[in-house]
Amino acid sequence: MQYNPTIGIETHVELKTNSKMFCRCKVVDTEEPNVSLCPTCLGLPGALPVPNKKAIEFITLLALSTNCKITKQGMFHRKNYFYPDLPKNYQISQFDLPVGINGSLKIVLNDQEAEVAIERVHMEEDTGKSTHMGTGRIDSATSTALDFNRSGVPLVEIVTKPVLKTSLEAVAYIEELRQLVLDLGISEGKLEKGNLRFDANISVANSESDVLGTKVEIKNMNSLRSLERAIDYEIERQIKALNNGEIIAQETRHWDEGKEVTKPMRSKEGSADYRYFSDPDIPNMVLDEEFVNIIKSKMPKLPYQKRLELMQTGLSIGEANILSKSNDWIVKLFHDVYSTTKNSSSTYNWITGELQGQMRKVEINELPSWFKADSLSEIINLIESNKISFSSGKVILAALLVKNVTPYDVAKEQNLFQENDSEKILQIVKNVITENSEVVVRIKNGEDKLIGFLVGLIIKSSGGSINPSIAKDLLSKELEE
Amino acid sequence: MSNQFDIDNVSKLASIELEETEKNKLSQDLSIILEHVQAISNLEFDISVDEVFIHPLEKQLNLQEDVVEEFLTHEEALSNAPESKDGKFIVPPSME
Ligand SMILES: [Zn+2]
Repeated sequence: MQYNPTIGIETHVELKTNSKMFCRCKVVDTEEPNVSLCPTCLGLPGALPVPNKKAIEFITLLALSTNCKITKQGMFHRKNYFYPDLPKNYQISQFDLPVGINGSLKIVLNDQEAEVAIERVHMEEDTGKSTHMGTGRIDSATSTALDFNRSGVPLVEIVTKPVLKTSLEAVAYIEELRQLVLDLGISEGKLEKGNLRFDANISVANSESDVLGTKVEIKNMNSLRSLERAIDYEIERQIKALNNGEIIAQETRHWDEGKEVTKPMRSKEGSADYRYFSDPDIPNMVLDEEFVNIIKSKMPKLPYQKRLELMQTGLSIGEANILSKSNDWIVKLFHDVYSTTKNSSSTYNWITGELQGQMRKVEINELPSWFKADSLSEIINLIESNKISFSSGKVILAALLVKNVTPYDVAKEQNLFQENDSEKILQIVKNVITENSEVVVRIKNGEDKLIGFLVGLIIKSSGGSINPSIAKDLLSKELEE
Repeated sequence: MSNQFDIDNVSKLASIELEETEKNKLSQDLSIILEHVQAISNLEFDISVDEVFIHPLEKQLNLQEDVVEEFLTHEEALSNAPESKDGKFIVPPSME
């Protein structure tokens, strides 16, 4: 039987504010526990939460940039459950009146543009961090240790509609969302730091059925790689189970990174019923037209717009996508170099290939202060006009990364300018043929691979200054005579 | 709407243990409350009004500027904790 998988992704994004969501404690990035706390984020009685204006601006930016409809009369709700990382026993979140609904995000999948439908974008607060202490096994923990530094840090949840079909689509979606929050300047967007965390809802259904299958939620995927693997594993698990006539249980499963399997999780007590009710401490949040227009005027260039600009230079959507997800300086360098070379393909290849490769080799993360876009343009132009060889271009680039010199100076000093004068090259070719008459005889007897040997000798005897393709052409002609 | 509800589920969700006699008494009390609330469903609403009443407070929300302030020191924050270790609050084991 044929089965169709359906995937929905819930992503939590930690916002890059100075202070927490409902109190003015500093958002800290430290291993030192419990150093940024107040009665509000500790859930002490009598504390009054007041939302952070910056966080509301940030989430509105995100909701607008994902084409969501902004809810004018927004509201905060209490989501009740008992778990020690939430000292109030409820999380302030949003329920039926989230900041944004019914949006979409343009992504790039298999070198084509696709769109992911967004269900909602809502504001909430992060929880503290719990560590289970005891024998090491989570089931036999003897106590739980709590650090509340993260308690109350502003968190945005973005939920897609159940519209994704493959693990690769999910990965492309997260990559796009990550770039979006970076470009909006609203989050550090670091997966390894937990600034961006995602869960996947996965179901499979008989391809002839209109009804979605039973939804299983997968948690604990900490990287794009684990997201991809967990989704693939879970789809296969569910199809196998259905083929065996089993019924898929609606449950939350945990991705085991080491064993590469999903396992049922012990569910939180009573997690099925969060008993949402409006938070009486926080009045309605009105996001009127005036407020929304101010936020709209602050909208930076979005990743898909950067892609469009890059594609206008002639890059493919795949290439534009890779560049649009690179550091800002790389995108700027591309545009600057392209403006003089007018050759998007070689500009792209030099920047994403040779330049970044050489930077890794000399272990630098940013270009030296003296490195100018014009220098890279000059290298590309020298190669395109056959004045230097491709490999000489690499030599020049390497020199430019370690000292303040111009491509012309390096080429001159290291004698890298190519001889393009056919008369001069022909003279060298003739000399080499005369000096290697035995080799010539062998070539004429069919040992074609020795042609390369002669070309090497020609280039060597010219001191490396000859344009190899001209040398090869002239040699072939001479040998035919 | 039925006035019968699952008192066991309610006590479980609220994390409150109840004796059998308490369950009976609370079931009755809560049934009466639910009956009162039920009356709302029987009201007729004028859905042509512009502003729908959705929150108990009519006050509009003031947002706070994103400016950091100092509150509790580490020692103050932990001073009420029955148990702490290595700067962390220690509570009975809980697991997901
Ligand atoms: Zn606080």
